[in-house]
Amino acid sequence: MQALQSSLSDHALPISSAPIRTSTATAKNVALLIHELQQLLPASSVILSTESQRPFECDGLAVYQQLPLITVIPETVDHVQAILRLCHLYQVPLVPRGAGTGLCAGAMPHAEGVLLVMTKLNKILHINANAATATVQPGVRNLALTEAVQDLGLYYAPDPSSQIACTIGGNVAENSGGVHCLKYGLTVNNVLQVKLITIEGQLITLGGEGLDEPGMDLLSLFIGSEGLLGVVVEVKVKLLPRAPRVQVLMAAYDSVTKAGDAVAALIGQGIIPAGLEMMDHLAISAAEDFVKVGYPTEAQALLICELDGTDAEVEEQLAVVSECFKEHGATSIRIAKNATEAQALWQGRKAAFPAVGRISPDYYCMDGTIPRGKVGYVLTRIQELALSYGLRVANVFHAGDGNLHPLILFDASIDGQLEQAELLGGDILTLCVDVGGTITGEHGVGLEKMPQMPYQFADAELAQFRRLKEAFDSECLLNPGKGIPTLKYCQEYRSLQHG
Amino acid sequence: MGDLTQQLVEQIQHAHATKTALNIQAGNTKASLGRHTSGQVIDVSQHTGVLSYNPTELVITARAGTKIEHLNDLLAQTQQRLPFEPPAFAGEATIGGTVAANQSGPSRPWFGSVKDSLLGLGLINGYGQAMQFGGQVMKNVAGFDVTRLQCGAMGGLGLITQVSIKLLPAFKLTQTLTFEMTAQAALDTMQHWSNLSLPITGMCHFQNKGQSLLYVRLQGGISGVEDAQVFLGGESLLPAKADAFWQALNQGTLMQRQDHQTLWCWGGPSDAPFDRVPNTCMINWAGAQRWVLEDTSNTRSQGLEKSLCQYQGGNRLGEVNGTVSVPQKALQQRIKHAFDPHSILNAGRVYSWM
Repeated sequence: MQALQSSLSDHALPISSAPIRTSTATAKNVALLIHELQQLLPASSVILSTESQRPFECDGLAVYQQLPLITVIPETVDHVQAILRLCHLYQVPLVPRGAGTGLCAGAMPHAEGVLLVMTKLNKILHINANAATATVQPGVRNLALTEAVQDLGLYYAPDPSSQIACTIGGNVAENSGGVHCLKYGLTVNNVLQVKLITIEGQLITLGGEGLDEPGMDLLSLFIGSEGLLGVVVEVKVKLLPRAPRVQVLMAAYDSVTKAGDAVAALIGQGIIPAGLEMMDHLAISAAEDFVKVGYPTEAQALLICELDGTDAEVEEQLAVVSECFKEHGATSIRIAKNATEAQALWQGRKAAFPAVGRISPDYYCMDGTIPRGKVGYVLTRIQELALSYGLRVANVFHAGDGNLHPLILFDASIDGQLEQAELLGGDILTLCVDVGGTITGEHGVGLEKMPQMPYQFADAELAQFRRLKEAFDSECLLNPGKGIPTLKYCQEYRSLQHG
Repeated sequence: MGDLTQQLVEQIQHAHATKTALNIQAGNTKASLGRHTSGQVIDVSQHTGVLSYNPTELVITARAGTKIEHLNDLLAQTQQRLPFEPPAFAGEATIGGTVAANQSGPSRPWFGSVKDSLLGLGLINGYGQAMQFGGQVMKNVAGFDVTRLQCGAMGGLGLITQVSIKLLPAFKLTQTLTFEMTAQAALDTMQHWSNLSLPITGMCHFQNKGQSLLYVRLQGGISGVEDAQVFLGGESLLPAKADAFWQALNQGTLMQRQDHQTLWCWGGPSDAPFDRVPNTCMINWAGAQRWVLEDTSNTRSQGLEKSLCQYQGGNRLGEVNGTVSVPQKALQQRIKHAFDPHSILNAGRVYSWM
């Protein structure tokens, strides 16, 4: 998102910006809050100046920017608890934030609120090699956790593209996935316990020491709740043993439909690869230009497939996968001969976003998920839509689980093009819903996808979400204006649709 | 077979208007679990049928009253399976009840519980509103996860009308090995093997009739299972006998509880020492689940340890699940109220206060 951040840093909020709850906090309350925060925290942890708050004004989706009233950086769980109590007492909105790598403006600050930056709670508290679990503070980076347990032959499975920077707390808030979640699941499938602080400042532990707890699954509800229900202060995760062998192969196709069909056929044959990614022609060319790993630039689609397991298992699967790819018209298949070659095949995929950033001044990343069988149809339809807007779209995505990441290329310096890109993005998301999918597979709703929420959900469902939110946060102080649209917002949306 | 959604909606709307307590029931195989409650039966057993199943999508959507046995038979035809291996309870268990009671089988530590495979569901809340949450796709983070919230709620947040479940390919080969060893030795062994990337799908230690055996089930591709069998050694169990063992374990009949006995279930870290749970007679889930069978007269009356549940038998009118913290109790009550303001749906099944 480098390109996007640099060129758009002074760009105004786009047209789809959702209404944000206006704080009911009085000026006197705000002054009291600031005074108490300054008493509570070290001077460097309470940031008031515009200049010093500037780095926090957006997350990874930099087109949405807002300076907070005040930024606080707690160092202990007690700090977090006290800050939440004060916000509750003085009725000041609060937005939690990790590393700010999110892609839905879920961590965009509130103009009249506190931005709670959790990155200083960054300790790995306990590693239990026997039970293969780790207990960490929310500010621990995703990759740092895997690095800390690699000598034990273990790793933490969810691996979002931002894993070098993103935090486990942020992963919990967004229910993050990654290239390996086809086989190993999302955050919700890999977290055993979460300790959170409620807006009243109470500590609640969800999940237990064992595998299942009696009663409603509050832990699953909390994971992916985008900072609307509470603030994570501790996470216990499951670790997995590293597979003895990993094999990567790549298949090229002369059409995206053929590649899409190959993916559906492979899964239908009972093979669940550790990862199964697809890139289209524009993405292949951009990646090859950037990293030069020998991708066939004439191909219309490329599949990158990773298999893992014991030697015998991998050999067995490799034969089936190669055969299946051939049967579905692969024009070439390349099997990595060693770890270096495997790394090279992955490198292009991993560098695809920055690579696309090189061929366009700006790009906008979408995140719809669709049934696997609809990949060919949806990709074709996306190209038609793009043409009608006069924009280009590159596709790099998790084909195995139908999670699309269309990258809309545009130039924000051209008047109106950002708005066009947004409209195209909205059309792509509603297309995903129309074919039986969802507007977001792993990036979250945040502020960005609020306009599409009433398209995916009926009023009764949205009202149920709001009642659930109120059960945790009756005054809607936690991350207001994100995730779940208000009743008024929905009414306006419906009247626009019918008008 | 048919769609009874409208009828169920009307029944719940009427109960909401008249504040009548309802008891959701389909196969009635979970009556011995949770607390005993009274209420007018709302019958979901005829609300059945597979709504969509496309093997290449690895997803099935079925109405809540559809039997587990029916799903298992259907999926076997295309070499697929329900990943969480739910108990079929003599063929009567339904998919709706399985989700509500969060029932997963011996493969739980390796293939996850119900929530790990649940993609979406239809739900009628206590207002009598039919709603859809989640979906049929693999990844979906739009809105709160109301879908997985239902796992274990025992119908207290709504009547489940239909579910969509992620499937997995069937195993090509299954092999069960047994090893004679003490419970503590079995705990150590299970820990060790769990961390070795072996195709294990079940590890259970059972003491019965003077025998103390560790059962290890291997499932997966042919070569992977064969290699693991050579690596682990042990005695190989005949398929029919092995199948009967895992079935009995899954359906809770392995320990043959008598009427005067209470069956306790403990859930905790798999590496907890054996004496953490005194009088354990069976260890499942590689150590993460332990079972104690006691005369009801011995019942632990001093309040339940959080991780201990009075699974079957004993007094079912008092609390059967461990205590929760005061803030969490209040939170759960507010959530119950958010779905079911008059507390008409399966009230008191999990806790007396909910």
